[in-house]
Order: sequence, then C-alpha cells, then structure tokens
Amino acid sequence: MNNYKYIVLSGCIATASLLSGCEKFLDKPLENQQRSEEIDYTNLSLMYAPVSGVYRAASDDNLVHWIDLSIRCVREDDYEKGAPNPNDNPELMSIKNFQRDVTIQSYWGLNQSWISYYSLAISANNALMELERFAETIPSGNTADAALNRQYQAEVRFLRAYAHLMATRLFGDVPILSDSGDIARLTTIEKSTAAEVRQFIIAEMDACIADLEDARPNESVHIGAVTRYSALLLKAKAAADLAGNDNASPYWDTVLEATDAIIASNKFSLYPDFYQLFKLPGRLSNESLFELQYSDFGLPAGDIVRPGVDWGTFFRWQGPAGDQRGSAISGAGWVPPSQNIVDFLTNRGDDTRLRTTILYCGVDGNPTTFVETPSGDRVYGNDFGTKYFNGKTYLPTSQMTEGRLEYGANNNVRILRYADVLLLNAEARVRKGQNGDEPFRLVRERANMEPITGVTLDQILDERRAEFACEWWGERFNDLVRTGRAQQVFGPDFVPGQSEYVPIPQTQIDANTNFR
Amino acid sequence: MLMKKGVLLLGMIALLSCMHGYVWAQSRAVTGNVTDEAGNPLVASITVKDLPGVGTTSSEDGTFSLSVPAAADSLIVSAVGYTRQTLAISGTAMNIQLMPDVGFNLDEVVVIGYGTQRKGDLTAPVATVNMENAAKRTIATPMDALQGAVTGVQVVSSGAPGASPTVRVRGVGSFNNESPLYVVDGMFMDNINFLNPNDIADMSVLKDASGAAIYGVRAANGVIIVTTKKGSLNMKPRVTYNGYVGFQTPSNVLKMADGAQFAAYSLAKGDNYVVENSVAQFGGQGNSPTMNTDWYGELLRSQALITNHNVDVQGGSDKITYTFGANYLDQDGIMDAENYSRKYNIRMQTEARVAPWLKIGITAHLNNFNEFTPNNVAFRQAYFASPLYPVYDPNLELADPIKFGTSASIGIPSGFWFNNPIATAYYNHSENKGFQILPTAYVEAEFWEKKLTFRSQLSQRYQSTHAIGYTPVYYIDNNQRSDRSYLRSAQARNNNYILDNLLTYRDNAGAHHWTVLLGQSTREERWRETWVSANDVPESSEFWYVGQGAQGIGSATGYGEGGFRNAGVSFFTRGTYDYDNKYLLTATFRADGSSKYQTKWGYFPSVGLGWVLSREGFMESQSLFDLLKIRGSWGLLGNDGIQPNAGYAIINSGNNNSAIFGSIGTSYGSRIPGYRVSRFFTQVSWEVVEEWDGGIDFALLDNRLNGTVDYYYRRTKDLAFSRPIPFLWDRVYGNWGSVANSGWEIGLDWKDEVGQLGYSIGVNATTLRNKVTDLGGLDNIMNGFPEWTAEFPARIEENEPINYYYGYEVAGVYQNQAEIDADPIASRYNAVNPGAPIQPGYLKYKDQNGNGELDEEDRVNLGNYLPKLTYGLNIALNYKRFDFSVALQGVAGNKIHNLNRAMRRKYPQMNADEAFINGLWTGEGSTNTYPSAQGSVAAWNLQASSFFVESGAYLRVQNIQAGYSFNIRETIPVRVFATADRPFIFTGYNGFTPEVSGMGYDANVYPVSATYSLGLNVTF
Repeated sequence: MNNYKYIVLSGCIATASLLSGCEKFLDKPLENQQRSEEIDYTNLSLMYAPVSGVYRAASDDNLVHWIDLSIRCVREDDYEKGAPNPNDNPELMSIKNFQRDVTIQSYWGLNQSWISYYSLAISANNALMELERFAETIPSGNTADAALNRQYQAEVRFLRAYAHLMATRLFGDVPILSDSGDIARLTTIEKSTAAEVRQFIIAEMDACIADLEDARPNESVHIGAVTRYSALLLKAKAAADLAGNDNASPYWDTVLEATDAIIASNKFSLYPDFYQLFKLPGRLSNESLFELQYSDFGLPAGDIVRPGVDWGTFFRWQGPAGDQRGSAISGAGWVPPSQNIVDFLTNRGDDTRLRTTILYCGVDGNPTTFVETPSGDRVYGNDFGTKYFNGKTYLPTSQMTEGRLEYGANNNVRILRYADVLLLNAEARVRKGQNGDEPFRLVRERANMEPITGVTLDQILDERRAEFACEWWGERFNDLVRTGRAQQVFGPDFVPGQSEYVPIPQTQIDANTNFR
Repeated sequence: MLMKKGVLLLGMIALLSCMHGYVWAQSRAVTGNVTDEAGNPLVASITVKDLPGVGTTSSEDGTFSLSVPAAADSLIVSAVGYTRQTLAISGTAMNIQLMPDVGFNLDEVVVIGYGTQRKGDLTAPVATVNMENAAKRTIATPMDALQGAVTGVQVVSSGAPGASPTVRVRGVGSFNNESPLYVVDGMFMDNINFLNPNDIADMSVLKDASGAAIYGVRAANGVIIVTTKKGSLNMKPRVTYNGYVGFQTPSNVLKMADGAQFAAYSLAKGDNYVVENSVAQFGGQGNSPTMNTDWYGELLRSQALITNHNVDVQGGSDKITYTFGANYLDQDGIMDAENYSRKYNIRMQTEARVAPWLKIGITAHLNNFNEFTPNNVAFRQAYFASPLYPVYDPNLELADPIKFGTSASIGIPSGFWFNNPIATAYYNHSENKGFQILPTAYVEAEFWEKKLTFRSQLSQRYQSTHAIGYTPVYYIDNNQRSDRSYLRSAQARNNNYILDNLLTYRDNAGAHHWTVLLGQSTREERWRETWVSANDVPESSEFWYVGQGAQGIGSATGYGEGGFRNAGVSFFTRGTYDYDNKYLLTATFRADGSSKYQTKWGYFPSVGLGWVLSREGFMESQSLFDLLKIRGSWGLLGNDGIQPNAGYAIINSGNNNSAIFGSIGTSYGSRIPGYRVSRFFTQVSWEVVEEWDGGIDFALLDNRLNGTVDYYYRRTKDLAFSRPIPFLWDRVYGNWGSVANSGWEIGLDWKDEVGQLGYSIGVNATTLRNKVTDLGGLDNIMNGFPEWTAEFPARIEENEPINYYYGYEVAGVYQNQAEIDADPIASRYNAVNPGAPIQPGYLKYKDQNGNGELDEEDRVNLGNYLPKLTYGLNIALNYKRFDFSVALQGVAGNKIHNLNRAMRRKYPQMNADEAFINGLWTGEGSTNTYPSAQGSVAAWNLQASSFFVESGAYLRVQNIQAGYSFNIRETIPVRVFATADRPFIFTGYNGFTPEVSGMGYDANVYPVSATYSLGLNVTF
C-alpha cells in the first residue's frame, strides 16, 4: 500500500513543479522571425539599411514587373501589341483600344500595377518610420548624422513620389499614400485628383532637395543613389504634367527653374554613344539621374539580383521570342516595337536611334533565317509575326558574364536621364517664348542628327518621341496626353477626359469603396 | 469482463421499480428464470404480449414470477444489450436464455478523451468506425476509412497521387487547419497516413463539445481517437496475415479535345497558324493536321501496382500482453514516370502487470518511408498542351539528351504551363526518405479497490526526413531547358512530446454512479529544416553531394534553415454522473496554455446531459423501442491550428532585402545591407468554437434498427484568417469574424437475417448550413484561389455562406445581332467599344440592378463550395460462406468553380475538355449556355460568372467487395476477397473529380484512380 502513496505523491510534486514553471515555458517568441524591436537604433552605421531595403523593393518588382511594364507600354503607338499572340492577355489589346469596362476592371494585370506602385509607397513609409527611430537616438550636437538622416529620408521620399507619379499616370485620380502605419487607414483612405497627386510630388521634392546629396548619382557615397538632381527632374516632370498644353501656366517656370538648376550644376553630360548607353558601358553614366541597379557579381550561376522573377525579368520579357537555337539572346517577346516607330525613326533619318531602339529578327521575321545585331549576335525570326524587338533591353552576349545565359542579366534599368532634362528645358523655354536651341542641340548632336535652329514645340515633341522611343515609362503616352494630342494620334478610340487613364481595379474598389 | 458485468447488474437494479401488475379476476402464475448465454442470471424486463401494463422484472438471481390473465399466450422478454425474445407461456417454470445482441451492445466500451466510457452512458455523439469493415477495403490510409462511414464527417480525397485526403468534421469553422485532431495511442497527430488500417483496433470520432472539449484548444475540428490493437491476458498467440495485391487504374479521366477538335477550335478562334504549322511540320492536308497527341494517354499508366502485406501477432500470459505487427506497402503512382511510395511499418506493444494494482506498458511505432514524388505540374501541362505537336520530335536538332517535342514548333510559346508534359515528368527526381519513431511509455496504478486510477504517459514523436531534388542538364527549346544541373538536399527533424498525468476516480453508491478525471498535460513541438543546394553536381545519384563537381565560383551553393517551436501546458477535468444509468451528466473543463499567441491561456468548458427514456417505467410496456436516449450538450472548443503569430513587426533582412549599388559601367555592383519591415500585424488569439448539440439514440424492432439523430450548431468566434488588404499582395492575419455551421446528422443501421442470408443496410446523412455571422464591422472580404482572386473572387459577407463565388449570372447566349441590339447592356457596350464588340455567341449577363449597364452591382452570390448534404450508404450481405458489401458515398448542394476552364482568361491557347468543345455555340439556336469558339477567348466571356460555376453533386461507389471464408483446418480460418475501390462515380461535373478541396476552385488535373485487388486473410 505504501508504494503507490509514493507514486501519487511524486505525481503531485511533478504536477506542481510544472505549474510553477509553465509561464516561462510558454513565454517564448516565435522562432526564425526577427523582431523589429531588436534593431539597435543607436548604431547609426545601420541607418542606411532601411533605405537600401526600399531601393531593393523598387528594383525587385515594384517598378519593373512584367505585366505592369506591358500595360504601360501597350498604350503607346511605339509598341505593336502586348503578348506575341494577341489572344494571350487579350485585355492588353483592349487597353490599347482604350476600353475601360468591367472586363478591364477585373483584369489581374491592372491589379498588379496598382499593387506594384503602392507596395513601393508602403515600403517607403515603413522605412521612414525606421529612419525616425534612428533620428530619435542622434544626439542634438551630432549635426552630421542628423543631416545624413534627413538625406536618407529624402531618398526614400523620392522613391515614394516616383511610385505616385507612375500610379497617377496610369490610373489618374489615386490616393496619396504617405502614411500607412495603420491597416485601417488602407481601407478608408480617399482618392486625390491627378493634379493633387502631382502637387504632392512637387511639394515633396521641394522639401527634399536641400537635404539630398549635391552630386551626380554615380558620384554618390552609395553609388547610384538618387540625389538632389534626381529630385529636381522629378519635380520638373510633375510640373510639366500640371502645366499641360497651357504655355501661360506658371508651372512652366517651375519646369524651367528645376531643369536650369540641373544644367547649371555642370555635373551632367550626355553619354556620347547612344547605342552603348543601354549596354554595360552606359550603366550609371554621367547622364543617369535615376537607374535601378542589378548585378550578377561576375558569377556564371547562382547569386544574382535581377529585375523580377527569373522567367519574367524586365529584360527576358522583352527578349526575342521564337526558336533562338539556344542563344542567350532570347525571351518571351512581349511588347514588341511597332512598325509606326520604325517608320517614324526611319523617315526622319534617325539611324543611331533606330539602330539602338530596334532589334531586327529573321529576314522579315522568317523563323528559319536570322539577322545579325550591330554587336554580332544572331536573332532568328518567329511564328508570331513579330518583326522587331526592343533594342534598348538588348545586352550583347559579348558583354554578358561568361557562362550566364539569361538575357539582360547584369544590366541596369534606366529610368531618368539627362536628355529628359535638356528636352524639358528646351520645351519650357520655347513655351515661354525663349530660345530652346542649345539644350535641344546637345540631344540631337549625341544622336548624330543635324542641329536645328529656332526649334519649335512640335520639333521638341518629335525629338522626345525619338529619344525616348520604347523606353517603358509611358513618356510618349504622357506627352500626348499632356499636350492634348492623344486623339490626334490615336483617333476616335481615344476619348479625351476618360481614355487618359485605366480604371482602378475592381478588387481594389471592393476592398476600399472610396476608390469607386 | 467482471467489471462489465458488474456495471450491467447495477444498471438493471433500477428496473425493479414500478412493477405493480394488475391482478386479474381470472389469472394464472408464470414463473421462471432468465440467464445469459453463459448461464449467468440476468435482470430482464418481462411483459405480456398484447397486454400493455402487465409485466415484471427478473430479480438479481434471474428469477421472476408473474400473474397473467388466462387469455395471455406469450411473454416478451428483453434486456438491454440482448436480443428480445417472444415465448409462448408454458405451464411449467420457464428457463429463458437471452442471446447478446451483437449489433447493439450498450455495455460496449467506447474510447473517449483520456479514458473510456460505457456507450450507454455517453452524453456525446461518439461515432465509432467499424474497423473490421474498413480493413476489408484496400484503403491506403486510415483516413479513407472515414469516407461515407460516419455521420458528420466529410472526406475529400485529393486527386494528387500520394497526397492525404481532407477530413472535415461538421463543416468548415476555420480557414486554418480544417483537419481534426488525431490522437494515436495518446500522441497528437495532424495526419495518420503512416498507420496501416489493419493496425487499428478502434477509431472514435468525437464530434460535439461534450466529447471533444476535453482536448481544449485542439478540439475545434473534432477529435479522432485512434487506438491500435493490443493483445489480452491469457491469450494464445494469434497470428493474422492480411494482404492484397492489386492495381490502380485512372478512372473518370477527363476527355480532352483531340487533334481534329483542337484544330477546328483554333481555326474558329482565328489561330490558323497553329493548324498550318502543325500541318507543315507534322503532316496533314489543308486544315487537317495528322498530329493527334493524347497527352493524358501518354502521361498515365493504365495499371499501377499496389501491394500490401501485413502480419500481426497478439497474445498474452497471465502477466504480460503483447502485440507485434509488421506491414509493407508498395504503391506505384499512376503517372508513367518514376514515382512510388514505399512504407515499412513495425509496431510493438507490451503491457506488463507488475503487481495486481500496477501496469506498465510501452508502445512503439517505427515507420520507414521512401517516396518518389512525381512532378504533378505535368498534369496541368497535359491539360493545357495542344494535341497538335508530338511528344518526341527528332527534328529538333538541339534537343538533348531526349528529343522531346515543343509547342513552340506550332507557334504556341512554351514556358509555364505550355511545356512538354512528358518532358516535365521525365526530368524529375524528387525523393523523400525518412523514418519516424513514436514511442509511448505509461504507468497505470489502481488503488482503493480500483476506484482510483493514476496514469502517467509520455508519448513522443521523432521524425527525420531527407528530401532530395535533382534536375539534370537538358535542352528542349528556349524556355524548357536546364543549363546546369541542380541539386537540393533538405533534412528535417520533428521532435514532439506529450506528457499526460491522469487521475481517475470511479465509484458508486446505490444507483448513483460517478467518475472524476483530473488531468494535466505538457507538450512541445519542434521542427527544424536545413537545406543546401548546388549546381554542376554530376548526374549519377551516388555523387549527389553538395560540393561534388563544383567548378570554382561558377557552381553556386545555397543554404537555408527553417524551424518552429510551440509549447503548451494544459489542466483538465471531467466529471460524469448518472443515476440508475437513466439520467446522465458529463461536464468537462480544460485550461490550455500555448506559446503561440499573445493571449497565453484559454478556457474550455462543456456540459452534456442525457436521459435514457427506455429505462423509464412508462416505456416498459411498449415493445417498439429497445433503446431511446435523448442527449444534449454545450461547450467551447479551441483551434490552435492557426498560424503561430509573432504579434510584432518582423524584419526581413539579408541578401534578398539589400539593394545593389555600384553597378557602374562594367563594374559589378554589390549589396549594401538592407532590411524591410513587415509593418502590418495583429495580436492573434485562438479561434473558439461554441457548440450546441441535441440528439436522440434509438434501437427499434428487436435492435434490428439502430439509429442516431443529432442537431448541431457550431459558431466559430474569432475566426482567424489572412485578410487581403488594399494596395498589397500581403495579407494580414488576424481574428476577423465569426461563422456558424448548423445541421442535422442522421445515421440508421438495419441488420437482420432471413434464413441463412444475413444482411445489413446502413445509411447516414449530414446536412450543413454555413453562415458568416460577423465580420468585425467590415463590409466584406474578397478572397479566392491564389493568383486568381482579382478575376474569380470568392466573397465573405455577413449572413451569407462563407466564400461564396461572386460574379455575374449568365442569362443565356446572344443568339443573333437583333438580340444584341435589343439588349441595353450589349448595345451600350458595343457603342462604347466598337473595336471589340459583343457578338452573337457571347454570354448574356443578367442586369441585376436594371440600369442597362454591366457593372459591379450586377455581381451576385453564385453558390458555395460546402455541400448542403453529405451522405453514405453501406450494404452488406452474407450467405453461408460468402459475403458481399457495397459502400456508396455522395454529396449534394455544393458548387464547384471550374477554374481549369476559367484559366483560359490568362492562357487562351490551352486545350479544352471535349464537353466544352462540343458545347460551344455554333450558330443561332445551337446552345444557350456555352459561348462561341471565338467568344471563348474574349474577355467579355471570361468574367467571373455562373458559366464557370457548376454543381458539385456526386454519388461515388466507394467500394465493392466479395469474400469467401473457409477453414484450412478447424483452427485456421481463411478469407479470400476481391475488392474494387472507387470503381464508379456519377456526376455531371466537367472535371476530373468533383471532390475538390479548399474553397472549391477546381484546379485539379489529376484523375482519381480506381483500385482493383485480390486479398487474403489468414488467422492461426
């Protein structure tokens, strides 16, 4: 009988001891998930880390997603179509035809574009909160680090503003998402008008310019980070949108002041070889004001940072479709350049830009034949009736890292260039009745085109089209819209007042009815 | 055995009351005694046939004496648990022997949470699975045994070869872990795939709160208690062999369009080049290509072998009992590529009676498994692939090492789902090897005349797995290629334990019986995985070690780790009380602590009541009911199957969150360390289910008809799920709403014999009504199948079933231009979109708000994936040495979103099922449901609409079996049997199978296989 008394006793003791220890037993944080509170905000050497995180967000997917890219491009007359086969993602062709009904509203691609831009804005907001925490630990006497903190915040705000510019150029009236700390805010925030969004961008840049580095991006401490001049150009672009086709608009003064400031810094120059500007030698040249950077670290396999998922990177998506016989110069062949842009460049004798912008394939696209690129690669034709591919995404095999077979790997994605500064400057001058010949001459000269004296608005707009042909950011479409020439180019399909923008995705409206 | 009889005797004492029969003017006395089959006295109820109100009860020694009217000719004698008998009154003392009723035995002890209980005393609907029947089926996993066999349980077989079925108990009350908790000899498991059905002695399904709440935070999805077979004391060693050999064959393979149909469809869509390319390259004339590849035919084996051998030894001496079992299962997959599943299980169980009051025991399961998983992507590719290009194309110069064909040859870009399915299946090596050990040790001590039992049990689980994936170097075309070989090797370890301490007190005083259970449980679950990967590893599997074949920095090596740890502590108690086995009360309470959430503790009470009417005096005179019991219960159950939550902002850092700087000119950029913060989080707590249950158990007509009827109402509060948020792909996990499930469960079993023909018929049916009751103030939540939520949403809204398909209602098909012009929606649309107008053969959507425009307000509830009715039917016959059984199972009232068809929205060049092709609109009056070929790829017709929502009702013949029993010698019974498992299905659904898991979006492209086998069962 005594035996089991001991057992009972020991059982009770075991239970009691577990009871006392169990609070500690249960109180363990989640494994393998680092708490944000564990960041040491007093360690200012970490202060750039949240900023680097936002650049990475921008370069991963948020500004270069393959379908977002296709939507932006397909609206322009520079591009022939969306997918190689028009039945594939037929909504892209509907968007090209300025359809905006429920079939477009439920298109997943638009939702992807929306999410791409706003994910970047939210990443930026989160990074700003992190930078505030670093700022709180900086002693009041430490002005150097305080200035750096402000500079870093300004870089993040630039990226956020750029995301908003992309969003408003595609969707029109969109929310200004400058605070997103609270989830509830996301479901209640209201839209702002397209003009308000651009005013927000100008105000943001005004607030940031003084804090940013006074350097070219390629001279930045963090090579390739945005600087004061990137912000000035973004401001000028927002102002030009606001000015529209009204020569009397005070926003032309804003454009002129901002672009003058960039030119007057004497830091920038056009990269002399337009063809190589888009290849390795042209990465982060003195012309670059905003560029997304990538690297394969010189490795033939393994670690790589690329624009998007491996099968749908920014470059591969636009690479030559069809049987390329194992060549690295191959891709999905979406958003190929149009006959229209080829004719436009051909007719104005713009050989350099034609050679750079257009990648020919096969003899008239014949799949059994090939055409050699200016860099000596073979591009075969295809069965999709596609005759041209985008030359500005083409990276010759001779410039690729030995062993890599991924089209465009290790190349950067160019976004803002000094040529834009010069042409906006010229346009503002001409619109204000001044002479725009000098900035205009520089752009033409680099493209091996004869100078023009007494340049007109039409000539500037044509030059813009040629210079930025097939450059992904919707510049051509935006120029047509802001100058009121869209209907003239696109015909009656384009209805002013509604065809400028695509509808906000239905699924976003369902989640926040203020977007209705 | 002694205890069983004691409890019965105690129960019968009650029947002595209220026995005052009338004394009739002319009467005679009848005396006798009642015994059971072994001659032991029985307390039985004795009534006079056709004379209600006259009767008595035999006393403890079995004797009775009754005064009956002279006219009376027969007595009816019954006792609970025994077959009722009607006997002619004889002049002498009647010696009545009652035979036990095998069909319904109230003394049957049912396994419940942390103990056992007499079935008759249960206040909870506890369903037990007839393992004898289940073991007859050639089921690969024990979960399949539940299908169609138990009320309230829905089993959705996954079509994917080798995958576990989804088991749902009483509808969906959670988005998280839907599957019930399995308790295998005390160990908590999420999955019992590793068990062999032959090893299982008992499977109890605890469905309501009164039964399950003792498992507290793990109980919300129901609890299935699995007890493996054990030997018994003084038992001669018994060896049982059970085995079968059979083959699986794909059944109900969806017929896809063939070459001619696909060619005609392509031409009608305007994709002439596809046809022209095929004719030019692979032969044919004009618009008639000769190429006609049947991709599913190429991809599937017509017969895949399945073999199972099981040997089981049980026995016991006067002190020790033992069981030893070994099992081997070898199953080939139905894909015609290397894929198989091989399992070796060993099970050992020993219990020693160290002292009369002390038992110790160990149980151990040892599993070895080796699975070669097919690349199921190939099935999707087979669904998409055009029949107009060949499997092999010798003309592809660069294709290496095998000359696989490519759809790029006919102008359909390869990549994604358009790769050659046979190549995908071929260039696959995905192996998972591992072992699992489940050791359990326990001590059980009885004191105080066995009224008090203390049991302490430590259950553990160790699992180690090694997954190897290898992709060789190959080339087919631009998109289908692997330029460098790739090896990924991952090793994972699971390490769980549960320590239970239970103290049970069981006592009685007169007609009062009670038990009290006090328990404490501690548990911990750990998982950790480490993986490495590398390029350029040689192709021979002996050299699949990271580092082999590495060529400088060119051969990249990757690595990573993942893991979790959860801990829990619980205290629980259960009290049961009954008066005279007539009035029953069960109350449980559990306090659960968990490390997963910020709210550490949860409390889960339950109460159950029962009333056995058939034991009441007023029921004695009736002869209809042998048993009638009313039950009711209420309780709270928790679900901690929800994701562990950090409850804080998480930092994402490292290489994937650091941007590149310095990619200038030809210099290679490098990373500057960066991080991103996931800012959106909530404080999550577990889901709580409040459940009400009311039910009746009955046995009728001499126990030939048994049945139970239950009504249940379950409300899940703090329903936790990831909610999509505007602006982001990210979702936020939180407790966002509550949902109610209610319905009826009816189970009926009829068992009888006609001469030498014995037969039984079992029917069960469960109804389900699902309703979202609260969304925390949100208007709605849009949900759906991943990646398709924007196009084909499911919506959650208050007072509607959860996740209903949301879209336009198709009113028909525009038959001609006049109809289009007359329709406000179409004419308006065409005015705005002259470039892509609505044409005859396009779907006509119903203008719900009547504003003449198709807009967001026209979207409606198109149905929901939860079946309103789940039912099963089991028929068994035996005649002499033959036996035969059929099991059917079905659902009704649910919808399926045919996502496979809807995928045409993104993939217009995919192939289509034959029914779709044949259904297409071809001209005025041809159909009013399908669009035209050209319309089938127009965005207008690819909106979320009722066109893609189909009925999910089906009736499946689950199993047919015929057996023949004979004896080799007196002591060696043998049974041989032939089985057809899942041979037929009746459904109108246009897909491979209407059994679709998840939210009912059918992206399933695997045929379900039927299994035909021959088996042998020998015991000696």
